[in-house]
Amino acid sequence: MGQTLVYGLFNGALYGIIALGIALVFGIMRYLNLAQGSFIILGSYASFFLFKAGLDPFVSIPLVAAGLFLAGIAVFKVSFSRLLVYPDPGKIKNSLLISFGLMLLIDSLATMAWTGDERSITPAYSGLTIGFAGLRFPLISLASAACAVVLIFSLHFFLSRTYFGKSIVAVSQDFEAASLMGINVNRTFLVSFGISVMLASIPAVFIGFKSFSPTVGIQWFNKGIVVVMLSGLGNIYGVFPAGLFLGIIEAISVYVFGAPYREVTGLVVFVIIMVLFPKGLFKGQEL
Amino acid sequence: MGKRGLAGFGLVIAFIALVPTVVTFEYVLNLLIMLFIYVIVAESWNLLGGFTGQVSLGHSAFFGIGALITRLLWVNHMPIPLALLAGGASAVGLAAIIGMPCLRMRSAYFPIGTLALAMIAQITIGNLFPLPGSLSSEYLVTYNTVTRYYLALLVAVLTVGTVYRIVRSRTGLALVAIRDDEAAAEAMGVKTMRYKVLSLMVSSLLVGFGGGIFAYHQVSFYYYAPFELSWAFLPTLTSFIGGLGTILGPVVGAICFLGLSELFALSLGEVHIVVFAVTFILVVLFLPGGLMSINTKIRMMAFTLKQRAVGIGR
Repeated sequence: MGQTLVYGLFNGALYGIIALGIALVFGIMRYLNLAQGSFIILGSYASFFLFKAGLDPFVSIPLVAAGLFLAGIAVFKVSFSRLLVYPDPGKIKNSLLISFGLMLLIDSLATMAWTGDERSITPAYSGLTIGFAGLRFPLISLASAACAVVLIFSLHFFLSRTYFGKSIVAVSQDFEAASLMGINVNRTFLVSFGISVMLASIPAVFIGFKSFSPTVGIQWFNKGIVVVMLSGLGNIYGVFPAGLFLGIIEAISVYVFGAPYREVTGLVVFVIIMVLFPKGLFKGQEL
Repeated sequence: MGKRGLAGFGLVIAFIALVPTVVTFEYVLNLLIMLFIYVIVAESWNLLGGFTGQVSLGHSAFFGIGALITRLLWVNHMPIPLALLAGGASAVGLAAIIGMPCLRMRSAYFPIGTLALAMIAQITIGNLFPLPGSLSSEYLVTYNTVTRYYLALLVAVLTVGTVYRIVRSRTGLALVAIRDDEAAAEAMGVKTMRYKVLSLMVSSLLVGFGGGIFAYHQVSFYYYAPFELSWAFLPTLTSFIGGLGTILGPVVGAICFLGLSELFALSLGEVHIVVFAVTFILVVLFLPGGLMSINTKIRMMAFTLKQRAVGIGR
């Protein structure tokens, strides 16, 4: 039981990082990016091939991040930027549809390019564990938890201390007022979208260590969106605890119902939240 | 659709109905049966997604449960019409249990909620029925493609007809009102929740029949195969591309989809999905009426160009 919980917590940290990318664009621009999972898988492929070329997955994170940032900017320029004129519900619906098409596109292109085989990144240290208090802690999971913590804090400092971060927060609160204050709203949207896709690079590497194939992106997106709904919209600081919460729930369900139903648990939690609290779990912003 | 349109429709149906008397090539018949199934799924999705504005990414669950129940009853010696009805009813039952709560969500979240339900259904059925279901020898001896052809055609015509009747009725007006502005419809006295539930029920019943036809047609399939998400994505893509909220749009979209997938069947991978995904994005961005509206769109553009040439407007 203890060991299951440990794994659950580590999974939860991963869900938290995935959810950050989704929460950033959803909270700020009311864009729901269904293709985030596909971007993660793209990143996994990138770091897989860089690893094959002799680059350590942790070293390749900045490269993958830069690539994904550019990809996000390009995608936004071509498609999502046309949705800025819609009111909020229209934005959510249309961005969802566009990213749905984008997801199918990326997934099937990835299948054509790299076949549907499952792959995983296997450096020499991938199986190492640290024993503590009778429990095993995989080294890579520890690294992912550390990355999650670092990421949360750096995002916090970025949003609260830097000029550009503050402008992102301002735009998310009231974009008309922000634009009257001289903030370039379109550029803020563009860069935030790029950053949110860039955030996919870190889960990309850690999912790469597990295993991935072109079509699993949507499953990871689901984890992310469940966490976003749990934490409440526009609440970036709630994302990490919510991720851990989901991880623990999943661990308990594995213990009770068995491993095959692990994927189902989160989705059931999600549907229950959506139905019982159509206005969001927390009373902050309306969904 | 006036009298001429109805006559033309009847003529097309009669022509399609005559195909098996002329063509004995199994490939063509199987392809057309697949087309009918696509039309059933897309048109019934269109009632909910196109006319009522509730874009569902979870129709695979209703399609799958229809296929599963029909198949299980049929291979246990229930006559196929009864099994089909039971399959449709089970889809409605599933919609009542899991689909109705989704309608409580804000309509912008309906796609995500239904997608989650479809994934729950797919994983659960995959765990419960891990093995494929094949027909026993007594069923294989009497297997006849032409019977399946006519049954599929019948259900497809019924589906299109039902959606047409509903859309042209008072109910249809209420559905369209909900799609265009839910709050305004509610304020005008439309019981929005009741009509959304009705639309979901009819849609899931028809798509359940579609699943039943699939189960009746396939000799052997994994029970989770009709639950796969591609069955939920297919009607979304075809309806949007053909023309959301039009009767013929989903039919056109289904024909394009099947044509493309057969065209690229020999090439590796899923070229038709790539083509369809790109077209889908373009349609959402630039052509909200789908292929059905392309004629009007071109005329509009020609009109503005002409106006600009003579110096009116702008």
